[in-house]
Amino acid sequence: MHTTTETSIEREIAIAASPETVWEFLVDSEKSTRWMGLNARLDPRPGGEYHVEVCPGQTAGGEFVQLDPPHRLVWTWGWDEGSTSEVPLGSTTIEVTLVPQGEGTLLHFTHSGLPSADDLKSHTHGWEHYLERLTVAAGGEDPGPDPWAER
Amino acid sequence: MEAALKAMAAPHRRRILTLVRDDELTAGAIAAHFDVTRPAVSQHLNVLKEAGLLSERRNGTRRLYRARPQGLEELRSFLEEFWDDRLEALKTEAENEERTKRAHDD
Repeated sequence: MHTTTETSIEREIAIAASPETVWEFLVDSEKSTRWMGLNARLDPRPGGEYHVEVCPGQTAGGEFVQLDPPHRLVWTWGWDEGSTSEVPLGSTTIEVTLVPQGEGTLLHFTHSGLPSADDLKSHTHGWEHYLERLTVAAGGEDPGPDPWAER
Repeated sequence: MEAALKAMAAPHRRRILTLVRDDELTAGAIAAHFDVTRPAVSQHLNVLKEAGLLSERRNGTRRLYRARPQGLEELRSFLEEFWDDRLEALKTEAENEERTKRAHDD
């Protein structure tokens, strides 16, 4: 039996805007593309679609899991079939919590379900998963200057 | 880092890395899994090696290949940077929006 030691990416960032404002940027299709992706189709309700073309031909998808506006948002994250990757949609989880801080917000971000490099030695699915995911992170066939950073 | 990203972009090379995840294999054994020519496989192995994703070991006259997880760790850092950049962009946009809103309220 394999024991899976998943790793996650965690970040905390202070934003000089109210949780309500930040929330809009997480769930509104138009506003979300101002900070990530070329276009987005977001249906912010449990089970609703999360679909973002992150860079040309590379589309992230998943579904909203938990919404507690403007405090906590959970959605799944993976890559579309048309992308370089063959990772099933919604194979990792992103959780964002918003805590009021003065007139601003403390945003806590967690992207979990990423296998660790150690884990790759023994975990077949994790390995392929990871390869695919990282490939897409690279921006596809021609990484060149990071297309994701150009928005 | 760019070499690693380019190396990972080709499906054949991702399959090669999967093959040598647990087992050290010779170029011949790797080539047996593909319909492409042996020189093409050698070329893929070179690209992966130069990108730090593959290690090569000599055993007598044979050369054995194995995946190098450290190379992937470096790519993981890349993914982390991706989120750092995106969150920074989120911060900028939300703060601009907030300023606009407050200006209207005044």
